[in-house]
This record gives sequence, structure tokens and C-alpha cells, in this order.
Amino acid sequence: MSSERLLNVSGLSKRFGGVVALKNVDGVSVAGETLGMIGPNGSGKTTFVNMVSGHIRPDAGTLQFAGIDIAGKTPHELAEIGLCRTYQAVRVFSALPVQQNIDNARLLLAHRGLNSAELKELTEWLRLDTRLEAAAGSLTLFEQRRLELLMRLVLKPKLIMLDEPVGGLAVTEVIEMIQLLKELRARCSIFVIEHTMRVIRELADRVMVLIAGEKVADGPPADILRNKRVIDEYLGARHA
Amino acid sequence: MKPVSDRALWIFAAAALALPLIADGNKFLAFVLGMTYISLLWATGMNLMYGYVGLMPLMFAGVAGIAGYAVVHLTRELGWSFWVAMPVATLMAAIAGVALGLPSLRLKGFYFTLCSLVIQTVLTLAFIFFPTYTNGDTGINQIAPPDWFGGRLSGLGLELMIALFTVAGILICAWIARSPLGQRFVAIREDDILAEAIGIRVVRCKIIAFFIVSLYAGVGGCFYSVYIGFVSPRAFDVLVSMNIWLFVAFGGRGTIAGPIIGTAILAPIPFLLQDLQAFKDILSGVLIIVVTLLMPGGIYGAWLARRRRVQQAGVDSACVQESRV
Amino acid sequence: MTDAQILILMSTLSTGLILGAIFALVAAGVTIVYGCVWLPNASNGQFFLLASLAAWTFTASFGWTSAAAAVGVLVLGTALAYLLEWTLIRRLYDTPNRNVAYFVVTLGLTQIMTGMFSLTYAKWSDQFTLPPIVEGITMFGPFPMPNNRLFVMGVSLLVLVLLFVLLRYHPYGRALRAVFQNREAAALRGVNVRAIYRLSFVLGSVIIFLGGILFALAYSYDLTVAWTMSITAFAIMIIGGPGSVVGALVIGMTFGFTQAIVSIFASPTAATFSYLGAMLLILLFRPSGLFKR
Repeated sequence: MSSERLLNVSGLSKRFGGVVALKNVDGVSVAGETLGMIGPNGSGKTTFVNMVSGHIRPDAGTLQFAGIDIAGKTPHELAEIGLCRTYQAVRVFSALPVQQNIDNARLLLAHRGLNSAELKELTEWLRLDTRLEAAAGSLTLFEQRRLELLMRLVLKPKLIMLDEPVGGLAVTEVIEMIQLLKELRARCSIFVIEHTMRVIRELADRVMVLIAGEKVADGPPADILRNKRVIDEYLGARHA
Repeated sequence: MKPVSDRALWIFAAAALALPLIADGNKFLAFVLGMTYISLLWATGMNLMYGYVGLMPLMFAGVAGIAGYAVVHLTRELGWSFWVAMPVATLMAAIAGVALGLPSLRLKGFYFTLCSLVIQTVLTLAFIFFPTYTNGDTGINQIAPPDWFGGRLSGLGLELMIALFTVAGILICAWIARSPLGQRFVAIREDDILAEAIGIRVVRCKIIAFFIVSLYAGVGGCFYSVYIGFVSPRAFDVLVSMNIWLFVAFGGRGTIAGPIIGTAILAPIPFLLQDLQAFKDILSGVLIIVVTLLMPGGIYGAWLARRRRVQQAGVDSACVQESRV
Repeated sequence: MTDAQILILMSTLSTGLILGAIFALVAAGVTIVYGCVWLPNASNGQFFLLASLAAWTFTASFGWTSAAAAVGVLVLGTALAYLLEWTLIRRLYDTPNRNVAYFVVTLGLTQIMTGMFSLTYAKWSDQFTLPPIVEGITMFGPFPMPNNRLFVMGVSLLVLVLLFVLLRYHPYGRALRAVFQNREAAALRGVNVRAIYRLSFVLGSVIIFLGGILFALAYSYDLTVAWTMSITAFAIMIIGGPGSVVGALVIGMTFGFTQAIVSIFASPTAATFSYLGAMLLILLFRPSGLFKR
């Protein structure tokens, strides 16, 4: 992958009523690089993700993806230019079979999308090939998260934003998921928003730290873990 | 749910076209059949919106009324042929349907239903209080049957024509259900936020749905006018919308067979109860409550679920047999 | 000001106050049930009419006094509300998106009640009037005000105040508001959510019945009030903000005065048109309504 600039955010700000959710946040991500974002609850991570994925409009600042201005674009317009996200609380079409979930994701690109061989390979890699007939709601949480990934990969995106991808998973599943995401990086750039430091440490090339709506640090995980302000205000001494 | 098979569709089409011929001897039966077909055409449209997209458009009857009144006006006042007036009136209704539906696009669930109920009420009030086009509450009677090669198309001929349009309507609906557009509708019904996130243009699909559904309402409205020969605001009020919804919900929404079953069972009943309007209302109301609380999938949905359970039991017992070996 | 102008002013004022209070009551009942149980009651107008007609039956057929009739209807109404909750309403407490299902169920209920009324009351009379609960007339300057209307005005305003006080200061009221705002949090704080649902449905319904009784005591009416009241109550609830009792009170009074003023120049249907229009505007541009819950 070339070093194309994907996400380019500067001066992003948002308030809800009297509460400042985001204040002047900058950030850049480059193709091939795995960006991470951490921060305590209420730090603005969710607002940031919702803004970049088209659910909220920014009050101020610029929001660009692959050189295109995306402020105010709807989620489907973003999917069309290669930006998609998964949800903190996993979202699949529960009442529909897994196969239909996948087919729904294939509607966007239709004949320009993956061919059957590529799709088969993806389905097997994500170990969903035996579950195609089952209703998506009957899958385990881990399987549903894998289905989410499959549905995004079918869109042939440039960047997938993963909102707490290991949330709710058992410890062994977390380890498996981290491994999956490492392999995922070869197929598509990812941006991981997480609570669990372990995930960020193993996956991210660079980490943005949000505290109370402001970006307080931006660098490789090793540097972040040694950053005094980050330790004081978020991680606590035991992580140092 | 597996899509309906082609063979089933052709069998239905053949039966639907044959029935008017069979019923031809008995005027009353033939009339009930004709009205049932118009109701089925309407139910198919309602099913597209309610069963496939997941929204409950209570202004359906009002939109049908726009076409119904328009076709009378165009044939009587302007002397047009029915076969020119009908497409024009239907198009008018479809445009009105989209225009009226646009504002409610962002609303969901109960708010959407309430908004459509308000729009229906406004339409009914408009039908009553703008008598220049509609003759108000009195209605317009003695509407002539459609012109046909110098004469008039009525009786068996008209019923066959209505049957033809109804069958075509159902075939088109089945085609849409199988198409990518139909897939998009179902995705929107199941989770419209997720649908948007995976690249489906939800707003555009809803507008398309409004347009198509209004076409069904409009065609039905046009044939209603010339078949019954009399229109009034009551013919296109909220009770009618609720009834059409009931045909779909009772039979089984989101399937092709469901509305057919529901309409076949429920549509003839008011004609058998004739003048007992109050009883019709009560029965309707009871059915609405029963269907909502006890039969969310309708008759056909319950049958499908039962068949799945029986099949699953068969599979389970086969597994048990195998493990015993 | 001339006497004639004073008369018109006072007449409009009193009609506005009475109608406004009754509208506010019914809308408050509807909004409590919607905000708490998530039940939009499309048949609220029918409930309203039922209470009015029952009161008429007690006075006209059984020969009771209006006061006795009012009490009788309230008692029966409370029982009916409990019965409805027990048979129908509680079935959907655990269903997500139950507001649509409830709305449809109450639409069905509306049809049933409309049918039953046209089979019975429609055949018995065109207009229904109750004997005055308090006899006589009080003069406010040149303006004669029937005492029974004065009574209704007083009682309605009193009930509104009591309702407001109940919701703001009484523990039940606070529990109710807690469930309005966040039922999981309320459950965690030890609120028995299902009991609150039941109480709210009964309270809301009884308030609607009370509105019907008070209306019947003040005015004579026909069967169309059901439909008009349903639209008005929903319009008030949506504009005021679903779940907001304050909103119901304020907008209810506004509508009451609007109706009183509009009736001077035009038919009541014009008022209905304007309610529908206002409701549509709010639904489109500010679905959460004007007041917070």
C-alpha cells in the first residue's frame, strides 16, 4: 500500500448544549499504518468516531478522508469512498441468515466487488463458512464481531474504524481477535478505538490519546505509555 | 425465508384469471370477487411498504383517493379516455404520495405511523371540504365504466381487466422482492442504521418505495372508481387504510402469499355483513388487536414457523438416531 | 369597552380556561402513559367519550344526580383501567419497539369502541346533556356564568395543580419521572418498574375519564367529540413534548384559548386543521417537542 494520507482531521470541535465533547482535535492517518485511539469514558472517543463516520456534524474544524472533504457526508456516502466503521455494541441483521447479511454488504459494489473465490477465502479466514445458514442473531458474540468484519471487508474499504472490537469478549477470544486484527492489517488499514491497552499495544503503530475532549498525546505506543500526563490522568502508575 | 417459486406464481396467476369466468353467473359473487381483487392490489402495495420496508403508511387510502377522484375528473370534465386518465391520475397520486411522504422520511416507528395518520386525516378533510373537485361528503355517483373500443367495459370484461392488473401487480411485487432493491428494502426494515453504514442509500430507497407503493394505491383507486361507480371521502379514509393493513398483517407481512391469504379471507367479509357497518368496525378492531398481540407473522408466518419447527424436529430426531448407532 | 365587548371577552376567557384545562388534563393523561409505559393511546378520545356517555347513562337512565354519576364513572373507570392493564397492556411490557404495537392496538380499540357506540348511543340520542351539578348563575359584571361551568373550571384547575404537585413532590411522582427518563437506572435504584407502569396506565386513563366527565358536566356534546379529542390530545402531546406533563399543561391551555378565539370567527374544524398543521410541523422539525420531559 502506498503512503496515501487517509484520515486528515484538524481543529475538530463539538459541543452538546453546555458540554464540550471535542476541543480542537487534530489527527492524521496514513495508508498501511494502524492508528489507535484511547481515552477514559467521556473523553470524546465516541463523539470523534461518530463524527468521522457521518452520524454527527462537527461544529468547527476540517474533516478529510483520502483528500475529500467529508464533514456532513452520510454513512453511505462514506462507505462509497472507502471509509466504514464497526459498532461498540455489535450490529448485524439478527433476524436474517449470515449469508444474507453478507449479501446485503455486497449490494454496494455489486459486480465491482469481490468475486466468489475472494469471498470464499475471506469467509473461511474468518471461520464463518460453516455458519452461513444460521440466523445472525444466533451466533456467539465473537462470531458476530467476525461477521461485522466480513461485512466491512466486502465493501473493499480503504480504512475500517473499529469501535472497541474486543468489547464483551472472553480473554481467549480477545487474544484470537488481536491475532485476527493483525492479519486484517495486511488487507486494509485500520483505526482501533479501544479501552484495553493490550490491544492498542499489540496493534497500533501510533496512538492518539483523548482526555476530556482534547488530544493530549500522539505517538508510538511505547512513547504514550511513558507519557507523564497520560499516566497521571488515565492509565495510572501500574501501567508505567 | 425462501422466495416464492415461479411455479406457485404461475398457478396463482392462472387461478386468479380463471375465477371471474367461473363466478360470472352470480352477480353478487362476481362483485365480491372484483372488490377482492382491488383490495388485493392495494394489499400488495401496502405489503411492499409495511412488509418489506417496515413502515406503516396509513395515508395509503388517501393517496388512492387522489387517483380515484382525479380519474373521475379527467374522464368526466375533460372527456379523456379512461386508459389515458388512469396512468395520469396514478402518476399524480404517486407524485403526491412521494411529496407527502418526504417529510416523514426521517421519522421511524410510531412517529412515522402517527405522521402518516395525520396526513391521511388532512387528505380526508381535504376531500370533504374542497367540494369543487370532490363534491364533498355527498360524493360523486354514476361514474361510467371505462370506454372500450366504442363501447363500455363492464361486467365480466372489467373484472378480467382488474384481475389482470392485480396479477401483474403481484408478479411485479415478487420480482421486486427478489431484486437488489428488494434486498435493500429488507435490510432497511431490519436495521436502517446498519444498512446505511454498509453503503445502502436509505433515503433514496424509501423515496422509491413511496413512489412504487403509491402507484399501487393509485391504480387501485382508479379501478375502484369505475367498478363501484361511486366515490366519497369515506371510500378513502383511515378505516380503509387500516383494513388494507389488516389484510397484510393478518395474512403474513413480508411474503407474497401472506396478503393473498389475508385478503382472500377478510375482504369478502364486509360484503357478507352488508349493512352492519358497526359490526364491521368492531370485527376489524378485534382482528387488529388479535393480530398485533398474538400473530405478528400472520397466518402464513405462523404456518412457516410451524413447518420450520417440524423440519427441525425431524433433523433433531435423525441426529439422535444416528448417535444411537 | 362596551358591554358587548366585555361579554365576548369574558365568554372567550371562560371557554378558553375550561377547554384549556380539560385539554390539558386529557393530554397530561396521554403523555403520562406514553412517557412511562411507551404506550401512545390512539383511543384516548374514545375513553373520554365513554366517560361522558356513562355519566349521561347514569343521569338519564338511572336518574342519579350528576354528582353521583361523576363519582360512579370514576370508580368504574378505575376498575376498567386496571382490567385493561391486566388483560391487554401488560403483555407488551417486555417487547422492544412496543410503541408501534401499542399504537396499532389502540387504533383497533378505537374502531371497536366507535362501533359499539354507533350500535348503542348513536341510536338513543343525537345530543347528550347532563343536568347541572350546581344550579344557578353568577354574574361577573354583565357576563352571566352558569355555576356548573364555574364548578368544572374550578375542579379542572384544581386537579391540574394537584397533578403537578404529585409529580413534582410525591415519591410516586419522582419514581414516575425516574422511569420516564431512564428505566434501567430507575430499576437499579429499586423502583418497581412494572408496578409503576401499571399505576401510570391507570392514573393516565383515569385522568382522561375525569376529563370526559368534566366536559360532560359543562357542555352538551355528540359522538364526534371522541375523534376531535383524540387528535387534539395527540397534537398537544407531540407539540408539548411526549412525556412532558408541563408541556401538556402549557400547550393544552394554549389550544383551549386558540379554540375559544377561533370559534368566534370560524367553525371548530378550522381549529382542528390548525392543530393538525402544528403537529405536522413539530413532527418534521422538532420531534422531541417544545418541552423536555
